[in-house]
Amino acid sequence: MSHATLPVDDLHRNVPPYDHNPSAWSQRIPICILAFVAAAISTHLSLYQWGLIETAWDPFFGSGTADVLKSKTATQMYAMLGIHDAALGVLAYLGDAILGFAGSARRWQYRPWLVILFGIDVIPLGIVSVVLVLIQAFIVGSWCFLCLVTAVISLILVYWAWDEVRASLTYLWIVWKQNHDSRLLWDAFWGNRCEAIDRAAETLLSRGTA
Amino acid sequence: MWGRVVEIMTAVWLAISPFVFRVQGSESFVLIDSLVALLVAILAGLSYWHPTRHAHLLNLVVASGLTLWGRFAEIPPPPIHQNHIVVGLFLLMIAIIPNDASRPPLAWRSSAGSH
Repeated sequence: MSHATLPVDDLHRNVPPYDHNPSAWSQRIPICILAFVAAAISTHLSLYQWGLIETAWDPFFGSGTADVLKSKTATQMYAMLGIHDAALGVLAYLGDAILGFAGSARRWQYRPWLVILFGIDVIPLGIVSVVLVLIQAFIVGSWCFLCLVTAVISLILVYWAWDEVRASLTYLWIVWKQNHDSRLLWDAFWGNRCEAIDRAAETLLSRGTA
Repeated sequence: MWGRVVEIMTAVWLAISPFVFRVQGSESFVLIDSLVALLVAILAGLSYWHPTRHAHLLNLVVASGLTLWGRFAEIPPPPIHQNHIVVGLFLLMIAIIPNDASRPPLAWRSSAGSH
């Protein structure tokens, strides 16, 4: 396939098995907004853990938030990581927002490294959130409302981000399957271009939707 | 170039951090944070000039140093040093964002247009 034959609106093609483009701005902007909201919540919790504010807001569990944030488990995590868990949350959510915003509407093909980095930030964050909720339930024995809100946001982010990560991984898999050339796979990962790479993308795009 | 704008905003946050974290009495924190912030902003600014368009990648080195300083200068790290860790790791993520991140890479632009 010649480069010149690609239509100009190629950026916005749907990626099977989805009936949408997972890298479209309409897919990614909500992720960024939600990640910023979670970052703001985590900042509030961090300020409390750092002792810069007196109380953390909690409309349902009263002193539960304080019990969770100042718990022995939280202290142990701080001693191990050197940073409070809420501050790590700020970092991770800001990372989600920034890495979600970077790249064009076809970054699943043009910058797979960025999509995979985004996935590495989003997906483990969802798992960690679930673990932290389990710790609240079974170890600390108290609940923190804002922590639960951020955990729910993390899971929504995983759900929303997965289609794009899957598109990139499938594309790289097709590059490998068609060529069995690690150098070509490396080039595809970094968004370099050649005919074999174009052919792999076209193979993915020409598949039927589910 | 929004990645570079975020780097400059992060540099501003770093420069005011000693005052937010109430350690403005320590000259070393104010001085080091200000100098590191200035360096980050300069490297981000240089990325706007074509001959030095990759200068933002040097922020990876600055960010790594800031993170290590925050983690190991005092154990366990007090809030101001935790801030250094967060800012350092955040800069590591930002510094790898290409200058024209919202557009396709150059190799793809001829056919895909400049959306």
